[in-house]
Amino acid sequence: MFDYSSSPYPVRGDIAAAHRAYWRTLARPGSWWTGVERVAIAAESRNAPLCRLCAARKAALTPAGIAGEHAGKHDLPDVAVDAIHRIVTDPGRMTEQYVDGNVAAGLPKASYVELVGIVVAVFSIDEFHRALGLDLELLPEPEPGSVSRYRPAMVREDVGFVPMVPPDGSVGKEADLWPPGRTANVVRALSLVPDAVRDWRALAAAQYLSFAGMQNFVKDEERSINRMQMELVAGRVSAVNECFY
Amino acid sequence: MLRVSAMTTAREVDLQAINGDPESAAVGIEFGVELMRFAEAVATGDGNALPGARHDLLGAAGPAVLVDAAGVAANFQRMVRIADATGIPVDDMKASLGRDVRRELGIARFASARNSIAT
Repeated sequence: MFDYSSSPYPVRGDIAAAHRAYWRTLARPGSWWTGVERVAIAAESRNAPLCRLCAARKAALTPAGIAGEHAGKHDLPDVAVDAIHRIVTDPGRMTEQYVDGNVAAGLPKASYVELVGIVVAVFSIDEFHRALGLDLELLPEPEPGSVSRYRPAMVREDVGFVPMVPPDGSVGKEADLWPPGRTANVVRALSLVPDAVRDWRALAAAQYLSFAGMQNFVKDEERSINRMQMELVAGRVSAVNECFY
Repeated sequence: MLRVSAMTTAREVDLQAINGDPESAAVGIEFGVELMRFAEAVATGDGNALPGARHDLLGAAGPAVLVDAAGVAANFQRMVRIADATGIPVDDMKASLGRDVRRELGIARFASARNSIAT
């Protein structure tokens, strides 16, 4: 799994380790989705870039006005399939109204947050492979077991579309999510499902920088590119995606 | 962050590199043009542009830079989707540096700006 020894380019060991660790996490039951469902979410995220309905919606002024069926064989409820495809193909036009409507259609916000975490992690790992011209890794075999239904003790509806742990809420079982006190909204965004934040941190630490590394604006010794080069790449990716944040 | 990094290292950069201007990408950032084009090819998912962009970055900067750039690009393909799918606003819209950078880049035109700017 994630054996990069045949890659034409030497992939750092910490990147391979982070990808392997995420695949193991992906296969296990989560807070709100079983292992089978989590791997199905991952599989659906791979249908999205090939989806003609998503391409038509992306090109339309009003995506909701375009009817049709998403590409691929679906093992998840339609509301989840649609959310997965939108996250991959047209995230900039997702709205609070859409997320709230999905709740009414059977996708509670906690389930939605875990789904977002899975989609973005798998998409990111896949994008790393596509960027280097490597084949995508086979999805893992799901592990049996029950969901935990874990919900943090301290969550608040303050900003954004979903409840989050407040900036000063990294205490108790959530003490490891971010340093005490305050943090950026993008760190808190998935905190309704704390394990999604832990996955976020682990992948970012390998593919980009750790929390500590982010404080170094010159150059991380473990990286071949300096911080300005990293931020040029990050900024261009964000701009192409039309991400204001 | 690019602006902060440039200020920290006392380097001149041209933020229009973020908007895809190659001449701007060449200012103050080693392999800036190749990095910008590679990031753009990854983010657009342009299967025709990506092999060339990868080849150019590899030729100019070597495999370690290519791999690290791929990691950063892949990471931010994730970050933008977290931000947009959860509708989070910019943390401090009043900070002058961020305000200046947003104005210089003209990104208030993005649909996702509505999560940070009252309409």
